Amino acid sequence: MTIHNLYIFDRYGTLLYYGEWNRTKQSGMSREEEGKLMYGMLYSIKSFVAKISPLDPKDGFLNYKTSKYTLHCLETPSGLKFIMNTDNQAQNTREILRKIYSELYVKYVMRNPLCAAGEPINSELFKTKLDAFIKQAPLTAARAS
Amino acid sequence: MADDIVFELLHSEIINYALHDPKGSKDGTVQEADLSIVEYIGFAAGYKIMERLTREWPRFKDELDTMKFICTDFWTCIYRKQIDNLRTNHQGVYVLHDNAFRFLTNFSNGQQYLEYAPRFVAYTCGLIRGGLANLCISSIVTAEVQSMPSCKFHIQVQRT
Repeated sequence: MTIHNLYIFDRYGTLLYYGEWNRTKQSGMSREEEGKLMYGMLYSIKSFVAKISPLDPKDGFLNYKTSKYTLHCLETPSGLKFIMNTDNQAQNTREILRKIYSELYVKYVMRNPLCAAGEPINSELFKTKLDAFIKQAPLTAARAS
Repeated sequence: MADDIVFELLHSEIINYALHDPKGSKDGTVQEADLSIVEYIGFAAGYKIMERLTREWPRFKDELDTMKFICTDFWTCIYRKQIDNLRTNHQGVYVLHDNAFRFLTNFSNGQQYLEYAPRFVAYTCGLIRGGLANLCISSIVTAEVQSMPSCKFHIQVQRT
């Protein structure tokens, strides 16, 4: 039950933040390139889902799963994207992403005038709070009854 | 609370605005001078808010009583918390210690961004000075930030 890594993109595709916890295989490219690749794929999946869906998609793209890991995506109305990779057993990840957005990002990035909009996040406080939050995140919480 | 964030954002924009130098000069001396504008805005606000806060209060006994009012009611009205510690040497110097100063809590909990801290305490210095001025205490208020988000405000009462 682990969280592997987390990407935060803004609406223009800038990689605002990257955090890594239990990642055993590196992509072998620079962080920016990897970010671009990730954003490009998300962009394609989003338009793919929007076009191919037989019904009106309410939430759009939420997650995909491979045999080894699951990628979760949360997109806010303002276009921020929170991407988190976890293992396949992880639960209530949507809740976790929401909390990262509403409790950590809004508080420590938006309300910090020294973090300029559209630039990578340098705040140490955000980093430590995020680490602490990920460490205690109840990924193994009892199945929603 | 919604009104908190409005105050917070307006505060940070006032600072940006005050620091913005239309002539485009880049040396550090300009910043010092410009913060006095922010301090004055705080002074005017503090002066007026004190009038409103004390309208149902009896006269304060002495200076220390006034300082206690600043630490409790005045601070609660603006920052929704009380000052954590008040110290005085009984000769006109008071030190107000806030362990989690609102304008700094979202920044860092250590040394990062420490060089920017003076910008975010100037308004509050003015606020205290204005509040005291309306109670007939003229003073000099300075702030000291050693490690965020805690902040010390030094009040030096000017006796004539």
